[in-house]
Amino acid sequence: MSEPPKCAEWLLRRLVGGRDADAVAGDLRESFEARGGGRFWYWWQALSCMAVRFSLYRRAVPGIGTDFSRALRRIRRNPGYALTAMLCLALALGVNTTLFSFLDSLYFRRLPVPEAGRIVQIDRKFGDFCTWRGFLGFRDGLRSVQAAAKERSVDPMEVDHTTFRVQVEGVSANYPQVLRLGTTIGAWFRADANTMLDGAAGDEPEAVISYRLWQTRFGGDANVVGKQVRILTSDFRIAGVAPREFTGTFSPLRIDVWVPLPASLNRRVDLIARLAPRATLTNAAAELGVVGAQVRAAYPGDQLLQGAVRVQPASGLLWQGGREILRPIVMLLSTVAGLVLLIACVNVANLLLSRAAVRRREMAVRRSLGASRARLFRETLAEGLVLAAGGLLLGILFGHWTGSALEWALPSVPFALYQGLLFGIDWRVALFLALAGIGCAVLFSLPPAFACSRQALNPAMKGHDSRNSRQREIYSVAQVALSLTLLIATGLLVRALQHVQSVDPGFATGHRLHVNLSAPDRGADKQVSASVFSNLVQQTRELPGVEDATLAWGVFPMVGVSCAGASRETAKKTLTNTVDPNYFDLMGIPIVRGRGFAPAESSAGMPNVIVNQTMARTFWPAADAIGKTVWLEGCDGDVPKPGTVIGVARDAKYQWLSEEPQAFYYVSRRQDPGGNGFYSLIVRTAGDPRQWIKPVLDLVERRGGGMIIYDSGTLDDAVAVTLWEVKWQASLLAALGLLAIVLAAIGVYGVVACSVAQRTREIGVRMALGAAPLDVQWMVLAHGLRITAIGIAVGLLLSAATVRLLRGFLYGLSPFDPIAFAAACLAWIGIAMLASLYPARRATRVDPMTALNFE
Amino acid sequence: MDWDLVYYIEQMPPVHLGEFEQIVLLAVLRLGEKAYGVPIRAEIENRAARKVTVGALYATLDRLEAKGLVHSWFADATPQRGGRSKRYFKLLPAGVEALSGSKAVFDRMWEGLHV
Repeated sequence: MSEPPKCAEWLLRRLVGGRDADAVAGDLRESFEARGGGRFWYWWQALSCMAVRFSLYRRAVPGIGTDFSRALRRIRRNPGYALTAMLCLALALGVNTTLFSFLDSLYFRRLPVPEAGRIVQIDRKFGDFCTWRGFLGFRDGLRSVQAAAKERSVDPMEVDHTTFRVQVEGVSANYPQVLRLGTTIGAWFRADANTMLDGAAGDEPEAVISYRLWQTRFGGDANVVGKQVRILTSDFRIAGVAPREFTGTFSPLRIDVWVPLPASLNRRVDLIARLAPRATLTNAAAELGVVGAQVRAAYPGDQLLQGAVRVQPASGLLWQGGREILRPIVMLLSTVAGLVLLIACVNVANLLLSRAAVRRREMAVRRSLGASRARLFRETLAEGLVLAAGGLLLGILFGHWTGSALEWALPSVPFALYQGLLFGIDWRVALFLALAGIGCAVLFSLPPAFACSRQALNPAMKGHDSRNSRQREIYSVAQVALSLTLLIATGLLVRALQHVQSVDPGFATGHRLHVNLSAPDRGADKQVSASVFSNLVQQTRELPGVEDATLAWGVFPMVGVSCAGASRETAKKTLTNTVDPNYFDLMGIPIVRGRGFAPAESSAGMPNVIVNQTMARTFWPAADAIGKTVWLEGCDGDVPKPGTVIGVARDAKYQWLSEEPQAFYYVSRRQDPGGNGFYSLIVRTAGDPRQWIKPVLDLVERRGGGMIIYDSGTLDDAVAVTLWEVKWQASLLAALGLLAIVLAAIGVYGVVACSVAQRTREIGVRMALGAAPLDVQWMVLAHGLRITAIGIAVGLLLSAATVRLLRGFLYGLSPFDPIAFAAACLAWIGIAMLASLYPARRATRVDPMTALNFE
Repeated sequence: MDWDLVYYIEQMPPVHLGEFEQIVLLAVLRLGEKAYGVPIRAEIENRAARKVTVGALYATLDRLEAKGLVHSWFADATPQRGGRSKRYFKLLPAGVEALSGSKAVFDRMWEGLHV
């Protein structure tokens, strides 16, 4: 006689468990013996038991449907409270959705290309990856990845005599193959696209435009393929339109045009690559080391190839610097959004608790009629889940709106750097939202569920329940404390913004505009291009309403960096500007010692240099800087050149308003006329400078001899735009803080109103015994204020412990700024008064007779 | 008066039995004292001519017990069947009532019909 399979019996015992398993195993053995064996049959039967044991129905215990239908029924009968709870949740979840989709596009979203998971970004921690020459070595040497080169620039593009700036991605010809890109219409470049640009082939070079550019500039014209355009100084033929969702590999920047890179050997590029089938990131990194060594050996002098290499999956913001700049903001916002969600959960818990207080007699009756605690617990949990589901649906809607509102309302960001960050909702966002929703539901249903199922029967039947109301007061205190912390943080950021805005930039900004220009032919003779610029300045001065005009290499923020030192050996990186003699006068920067540049500075001999106060003080601490020799351009192995200090200009801000004073020097355009062919025309006007932008631009078009206009605007705007980070933080936090306050105020209102409802009888007795309405009002108001006062005390302690984390965002403002703290506390007292006012007034309208008959 | 409670009681649905539930209840009723897993399955297989897995049978019996229609208990272990105990089932009055209710429904539906 064969035995039943041991393994199946063991599984039955483990998975079914208990005496059930024993009985089932007995039945199976009996039948097994009766039918004279059949291991397959035995396994089949055992598995059927296990499947049933683990079926959803069996696990969830019968009656889950009833739980939900009762929850729905209760919600239908009290739509007001359910709606409030759902709205609270929806607001908080909406904000979190938006924030998470932002995070998603920053860190997780992949390129919209086939098999995006296999795309990797290859770059160096500092600087560009390699030169074109190096790229050819990598492209041909690497087996585990297929690599394409890319480089980004912002260039003017001319279509039918209109010029506008576009984001251009210069790429190697294999770029579309590596990314497996299709086109909306037309085709990508030919395989010899890179060499074609050098005039090797007779054909015209080709460009591919983005879907967005096609729609906005070409009106979606299907005949765009074959059209001639001019980008910077070269002519291109449009070969095709990229797929709609593809915006290049410099996310979040939206690339407008892709052109093949000219195959010039010293051009610096980064790599984007696709892993070969079966290759892993580790393979690729190892092989890059080997091929990198070969390429280094082939070009021993190449400094670029020395840096550490990084290989990482291409997801989110591919520009590492941008990720790092945004990290603190993202951390701050995630914390705050999480807090808002917590406050909302506490709010809903509070609402459920007050519902539980109203229903405590019903619960007690049901308990005494035999309903188990588990059953009541499950019902409350089901109610929470239904509320969370409603909140979730509304939250997705709100999230969508907040996303669009944010995209529209955020202060403008320089160079459109972050404008492409998406607030779209994809599956990751949806998953996050669902998890957040379930988490919330559990979080806020547990306290009332415990309260419902644990309450003692006797006092509940009689209608006393002090524990419940005490619990709700504690929640309210927590809400006030949390939202006060947010309010203080918001206050601090707003104060920081004020603080930075009130900083004197050290130069005049009002009535001034700038136009950034580039010489039409940057390879031309320096003197010729200098005279083109000089003529333009002269003609600008003659425009009506223009008081003066000057030329400078940089405006604000300054980007020109060179080297300077008091001796040949001590040269270090220093910011610099090349200016016309009247620059200091026009910009309102006084020369505090020595003299400014003369209009006819001789271009022979040692150049004259004007330094700022910080440079004079730090380079020659013990002596007068005037007449000293300063050594310029001595970094990176260059030969330093001497210059003579002829004057000291007052310190100003050069890159950010919040910066510390830093060394800076000026050289005269008369002595260094090249300036790379870039200059900014700065104009002082009699009235609003905006009105002069157009006439000046017209003048440049007419008389500039084909000069390229890069950018234009007022100096006020140029300064204001550098504040974008502070403005971003302050406005986002203010929005979240406001939301938190609204939620917490609803919480305080709820607690006070509920206590008024519960004390109707007591209030009636007091009124009948002759209490003045004002006394009753004060009694109710004092209840709200007491909660708020404790909340403020806790919140102040919490803030004191946490505000130091904000130090990096405050631009020198003390995190314990008394004004921000005081304003937040006062604001909360005011809000608490408002929130308790309505319940207080309602309390005095209680009719003693009705109140005494209450219940 | 708490209207919620009244509402619940009014809403308590009459017990509806599925076809398989009826078959299982009838098998338990037929077997009387001897109703445990193996004979119940044999009864169903013989009379209704349908194969039943042990899992499906116990799932149904558990559900009927949760609805308050049957009652089950474990008998003491005997040396037979590897020393494993048996789980016996018995119909409760609610079970009998549900069965007769179901039968009445079918009778009414069949009344006057000849197929």
